Amino acid sequence: MKKEDTVKLVSAEGFEFVVDKKAAMVSHTIRNMLTSPGSFAETQHGEVTFPEISTPILEKICQYFYWSLQFASGKETEFHIEPEITLELMMAANYLHT
Amino acid sequence: MKSLRVLQAIYIRVKRHKITYFIQCDPTESTLDIKQKLQELVDQPTNNQRLTLVSTNEILDDSKTLAEQKVENDAIVALTLKKDDNEFEEVYIARVEDFTSFS
Repeated sequence: MKKEDTVKLVSAEGFEFVVDKKAAMVSHTIRNMLTSPGSFAETQHGEVTFPEISTPILEKICQYFYWSLQFASGKETEFHIEPEITLELMMAANYLHT
Repeated sequence: MKSLRVLQAIYIRVKRHKITYFIQCDPTESTLDIKQKLQELVDQPTNNQRLTLVSTNEILDDSKTLAEQKVENDAIVALTLKKDDNEFEEVYIARVEDFTSFS
């Protein structure tokens, strides 16, 4: 895999998640960052920090990106969400337009 | 029949310290194929990488496929690298509890 095809998402606690750009673009917010003509400084380095999103939530979101791609290609599985993270996950998803 | 997609069937989560690599792959790919995908991302040649399936603590064999070694979709695999003394480091995946935020 090439570095330029990936993007690094950093959580509030400084944990890093390296995902395919294609997967990250499931999020409209990230898609806009990666494709806007002016280019955000963060995306030029291929790194986006989310100081408001905790590590377990950001990991769940990354899993969702890949689940979403699998679902779109016809693999119909369920996406499991633990009840205790539901609210925080919804807030993050809302922010990311995911 | 559905048309062929470029997208590969599964993904695994390769973890070392505070970093997680989401790697798309296919159950028929070998461990070595995965190491080749990781090569550029971790900046280490394949023979300096060791992958361990976290759920069973089993070290993955380069020549075997993911399916043969029961590496499934969303599996967590620990990455360890060779140290200067030619030994592999210990498996270490940071936990979020060790880094509580101040907010």
